[in-house]
Amino acid sequence: MDMFFLAVALGICFLVLLVLYRVVYGPGVFNRVAAISAVGTKTLIILLIVGFLYQRVDMFVDISIVYALLNFIGCVAVAKYLEMER
Amino acid sequence: MIHRGEDVIIRTISRMLIPFIQIYALYVIMHGHYSPGGGFQGGVIFGASFVLLLLTHGYHDARSRVSEKTMIVFSSMGVLIYAGIGFLCLVLLGNFLDYSMLAGILHVDPAHARSLGILGVEIGVGFAVMAVMVSIFLDISTGGVLPGEEEDVGEPPVKEA
Repeated sequence: MDMFFLAVALGICFLVLLVLYRVVYGPGVFNRVAAISAVGTKTLIILLIVGFLYQRVDMFVDISIVYALLNFIGCVAVAKYLEMER
Repeated sequence: MIHRGEDVIIRTISRMLIPFIQIYALYVIMHGHYSPGGGFQGGVIFGASFVLLLLTHGYHDARSRVSEKTMIVFSSMGVLIYAGIGFLCLVLLGNFLDYSMLAGILHVDPAHARSLGILGVEIGVGFAVMAVMVSIFLDISTGGVLPGEEEDVGEPPVKEA
């Protein structure tokens, strides 16, 4: 089962690289914001899988909830900033 | 950055979310010695809830709940709790932050006194971090001049042509 989780984690890491292309070269700010949000979501899943690998899911769930929360607040802040700039 | 947002979806969602964020921050502070987290992390989450409130409702509406003066009082109070527990241990003939010396005044055995002492210190750190996070956010987003309190700083500087 550990091999399965490891393979899934590595696959998601590869997907993060694909999304990172959009963050770096993406035309416009909105593509970048959406891509950063997607990277945050994938990081959350990777955190949970690392929790399964270390057999301490109960602690890693706490960390990933905080990560999702700060991701949401960051997204709202960036959206507010863009609205102000217009 | 600090003005009231127009979007009803964001405002409603954050109004429903903020109490749960604050409960979760208290959980992180209280369980700091059993799970990841502690005073600093819980304080950051608590501060993030206030940052969300300020982002979505604006400083003008949220001033009754979170204002700059309250935050300064809270940050000083957190440092006072932390240093007060430390110096209380010094007064009771122990080292600085040597919680087992608190067993005499708490009427528990030293192991429980250590647990309660570290909890008190984490509560103090949480207060200080929460207040300083919100204060930094307010200062950065307004450039130091809060809306509605401009008269406190006198005339704005005249720009040279």
